[in-house]
Amino acid sequence: MDLDRPRAVPEDASPRERELLEENARLRRIAAALMERVESVGVAGAAPYAAFEHAVLLAEQVRERTEALQQTLAELHAAKAEAEAANLSKTRFLAAVSHDLMQPLNAARLFTSALEDHDLPAASTRLVGHVGRSLTDVEALLGTLVDISRLDAGVLEPDTAPFPVARLLDVLAEEFRHMAAARGLALHYVGSEAIIASDLALLARVVRNFLTNAIRYTEHGRILLGCRRRPDGLEILVGDTGPGIPEAQREAIFLEFQRLGERRDAEDRGLGLGLAIVDRIAGILDHPLRLASVPGRGSLFAVRVPFGRLPSSPARAPASAPAWEGDVLAGMRVWVVDDDPEICEGMAALLAGWGCGVRTATCLADLDTALETQAPGEAAEVLLVDYHLGEGDPDGLSVAARLRERQPGLAVVVITANHDASIKSLTRQLGYGCLLKPVKPLRLRMQLVGLRGGGSV
Amino acid sequence: MREPFPASPGLAGMAVEGAVDDGTADEGPADESVPLYTAVSQRGDPRAAARELADALCHPELGFVLFFCSAEYPLAALSEALNAAFAGVPVAGCTTAGEIAPEGYGRGCIVAIGLDRRHFAVSCALVDDLGGFDLMRAQRLVDGLLDDCRDRALAPLAEHSFALTLLDGLSSCEEQVLATLDAALGRIPSFGGSAGDDNRLAHTHVHAEGRFHGQAAVVVLINTRLPFEVFTTHHLRPRGEKLVVTRADRERRRVLELNALPAAEEYARLVGLPVAALDAAVFARHPLAVRLGEAYFVRAIQRVNDDGSLSFYCAVENGIVLTAMRPAPLLEDLEAVFDGLTERLGDPALIIACDCFLRRLELETLERVDAASRLMARSRVIGFNSYGEQHHGMHINQTFTGVAIGSRPAAGGS
Repeated sequence: MDLDRPRAVPEDASPRERELLEENARLRRIAAALMERVESVGVAGAAPYAAFEHAVLLAEQVRERTEALQQTLAELHAAKAEAEAANLSKTRFLAAVSHDLMQPLNAARLFTSALEDHDLPAASTRLVGHVGRSLTDVEALLGTLVDISRLDAGVLEPDTAPFPVARLLDVLAEEFRHMAAARGLALHYVGSEAIIASDLALLARVVRNFLTNAIRYTEHGRILLGCRRRPDGLEILVGDTGPGIPEAQREAIFLEFQRLGERRDAEDRGLGLGLAIVDRIAGILDHPLRLASVPGRGSLFAVRVPFGRLPSSPARAPASAPAWEGDVLAGMRVWVVDDDPEICEGMAALLAGWGCGVRTATCLADLDTALETQAPGEAAEVLLVDYHLGEGDPDGLSVAARLRERQPGLAVVVITANHDASIKSLTRQLGYGCLLKPVKPLRLRMQLVGLRGGGSV
Repeated sequence: MREPFPASPGLAGMAVEGAVDDGTADEGPADESVPLYTAVSQRGDPRAAARELADALCHPELGFVLFFCSAEYPLAALSEALNAAFAGVPVAGCTTAGEIAPEGYGRGCIVAIGLDRRHFAVSCALVDDLGGFDLMRAQRLVDGLLDDCRDRALAPLAEHSFALTLLDGLSSCEEQVLATLDAALGRIPSFGGSAGDDNRLAHTHVHAEGRFHGQAAVVVLINTRLPFEVFTTHHLRPRGEKLVVTRADRERRRVLELNALPAAEEYARLVGLPVAALDAAVFARHPLAVRLGEAYFVRAIQRVNDDGSLSFYCAVENGIVLTAMRPAPLLEDLEAVFDGLTERLGDPALIIACDCFLRRLELETLERVDAASRLMARSRVIGFNSYGEQHHGMHINQTFTGVAIGSRPAAGGS
């Protein structure tokens, strides 16, 4: 059909015919224009209207993509929030469970410690020793599980401060020397005067883990604990003469539940979580880890810690007597405030074993009675107070503040199951000591010895 | 083992950090709303007008001035006066078909916005050869703007910037220039308006680099930490009637025939008026639009020519289908848009708007100008009546198109 050339109007057409023919002609022209337009669509050209149409299509595409993107983003956000909430509730649950488990464990440890100081038949002493070690294992396992969950939830904030590396390593060396000796290994410790900046407790876990592994996997030979100065920090090294780690497995050992070789002895109850924790802690602290190993000759684990500078306050006098000497605590008047009567009793037994004079209180009312009945010259030297007291009572810090009003010189050690750095740093600001639950008798003893020796916490 | 108890170094460190001065002594806290200075001058004398604007806008941190002025001003003298008044501060703007001042619609005046360099990094470029503006040049221009902005950028450039385009409204080049520019801008949203000349349709001008230019465009890239949204709206709804362009002169943007009949005649028949009665007010009330997808884009009629053809403000083509449109309540639509913007951005610190002069004409016919002024003043609109608007590379007509800028930086700086 030739749309451009309208039919000629016959001479004898009626007006109606004429009208229809004219309309027909117009419609042909409209059809022709539309066809021209349709056929020019998609032709790349510089026609202005085409540019406009192109811009509209583009804008529409952009709008659609943006919408799709926003939709996806919103879904991702929702999914992330859900996952975070689930993770948080898991962490809270674990924290709650661990807190509840720690309390009786704490009491059991204190009782066992007290029992060890009694004169018992040799057979009983051995049994008590087994109970004590089992409790230690349970506690370690529980702590490890809680730590992994806390590290994963990102709730653990490092509490970094400068300190002499010897403060950490001297104690660890002492502790592990016995453990190594028990397995017929020699522990060779080279001390250092360096000052480092780190979270002492977290760093201790890293080095402790290195040492535990070294002792666990080394059949004979020796363990080395030492430091090496590097330009960008102090490297704390733990070496052993164990079987070494094949190249292929050096990454895998930092994953959960990975253990090398078959362990045969019953004492070994680890879950294989140790290095997974080390890896996470090192990440949080931003301390690079290093592993060198020659299969058959031994392994070397190292963590690099930045150097620190101590604030220029006069050096604290060292404790006057070693913590393990017999009667340094004899006659020390210690008050214990804890809402758990079991803990109070356990503490009392332990402290009494060290020769301390102990008074306990499980609530404020108890405490007030104790204060009223105390004879002159019987004022407490040290207050051991649980941070979380019973419902209705203020927290341990308030109790401490109250007692300090009456006795300004009173030394305070706060005990808490809450591993957040915030309480620790709060107590530090107040000049109080702080111990984490479950209270380890040796730590408690060292705190008390320190108080007796240096005076201030 | 004793824990270390150093005197809390964290606290001391924080105190020192808090006292650090970044050199902007009078800057308020970050959560305080950012002031955006705007001004208007009714004075006809260029020097007096420029002086008045400078008095209101000048402060040590003034980084850029954007203005819209009546085409009545002697433009060369106005350029000179502005350069003198804002010594050293870059100034860009255009002539209008009416101004939107802080108090609402104005006429014969000059309005201006002062952008604080602490909150806005601005760079500006002139395109003085619209015909030769190809993709290569567009890319160079955009790269230049981004480079210029980068050093002073207050937030990531790609996500926190928008482009404002001001075009000579009688150049008949908007479509290609905009599509090209948009391609070069990529993800950066753009909007703008075509300069006007108080409906005389003779000469429109844009201002940059110290003087006014015809057949030219100005591109202003604005980077800010403040939240913003580029938007467009119109209040026109489709009717049933369709008109097919059967003959067009694309170079001159003229439609000679609609439905194979002389264009003016056919349009007059559609609106039920004699051809002689067709004027801008009629065009404003009875617009024609093309439909693309689900959206209608008004193709505004500029005038009736002696040969019975219609001139348009935008590109036309043989075979395009025009849908007759009817206006819905204009201010209700605008208010809903402002409400939505406020919901998303908080109370706007400023809305820069390109408002088609045909909308103002409709408001004048309906005697709703005062109500419109109140609504715009409440939403802090500054802008001008345009001969066409620009949105994401599209040249559109009879719309209210602009950018709303929130008064507080988005939380988290995202």
